[in-house]
Amino acid sequence: MATTTASLTLTSTDLFDDSLSLSNTSTLYKAGTTIGLDQTTGLTRTYVTATTQFDPFPVVKGTTNADENGRVYIANLSEEITEYIIVTIGDLVIGRLYAGDFMWMPWSPKAQHVNDLEITPSVATGMHVEFMAIHNFANIYPNSADS
Amino acid sequence: MATINATLSVSSGDLSSSGLSLSNTMTMTKAGTSTGLEFASGLIRRKLTATTEIDLVATGAQAYGTPTATTNANKLYIKNTGSSSTDYISVGLGDATGAEELDDGTSKITLGKLYGGEWMLIPYHGATNVGDVLVAPSTAEATTIEWMLFFE
Repeated sequence: MATTTASLTLTSTDLFDDSLSLSNTSTLYKAGTTIGLDQTTGLTRTYVTATTQFDPFPVVKGTTNADENGRVYIANLSEEITEYIIVTIGDLVIGRLYAGDFMWMPWSPKAQHVNDLEITPSVATGMHVEFMAIHNFANIYPNSADS
Repeated sequence: MATINATLSVSSGDLSSSGLSLSNTMTMTKAGTSTGLEFASGLIRRKLTATTEIDLVATGAQAYGTPTATTNANKLYIKNTGSSSTDYISVGLGDATGAEELDDGTSKITLGKLYGGEWMLIPYHGATNVGDVLVAPSTAEATTIEWMLFFE
């Protein structure tokens, strides 16, 4: 097992009349246990030059992973404020990450195509995107026929 | 406008042979601009006492305002405030009026599970037909959730 911690702080001094200061830390465990997640895709930084949708975390035989619980990090490293990526799961849009935005979420992948995560860049002029999964899934591959 | 900062840090000394140390800070801005998001739902706290799926963040007009849908840079924070390592909430997206439950089909799609103390921060699309954020606890014992939507 490994010990991996994730922390998040949310702050603002002018969103409300009073300041916002929220802080959380959690240890990343396998589903239903206190055993640490022990696999990672590694932090991938890629330069995408097409508006074609791509799958950062193909799960080919994911039915065995539906009860698991990994964590996913995705960031748009672009510095052009109008550029974004659309992040989808299955057929549904989670949302847009504009330049500098990131997301962090749990992920319980099921069978191929059911709840794949996908990224679609808004421009073909080149954009850096970063992503990583920390997990204990079976059959997660960097390349596959997944979509 | 407001200046809202979010900082994520992920670290491990033994997840890989070389360890992991990731830190990223974002300032929440409106879509395609450098103007900060200016609205928020406030930190909402709910106690759930059934395993029934609920529409945690509904699309359209709400008491806290009407978030811009689809073309936006909205952000959603959700936390399971519990401490259990075995009880969780499933979090998914879809149309809350659909007959299916989370995990049962493709019209509602589960993102993942938040066990006690876990949290997430994701963009919020909010499309009227599929943009509900759905939550289903794994237990009928009291489960308390906190969430906040930052929106334009």
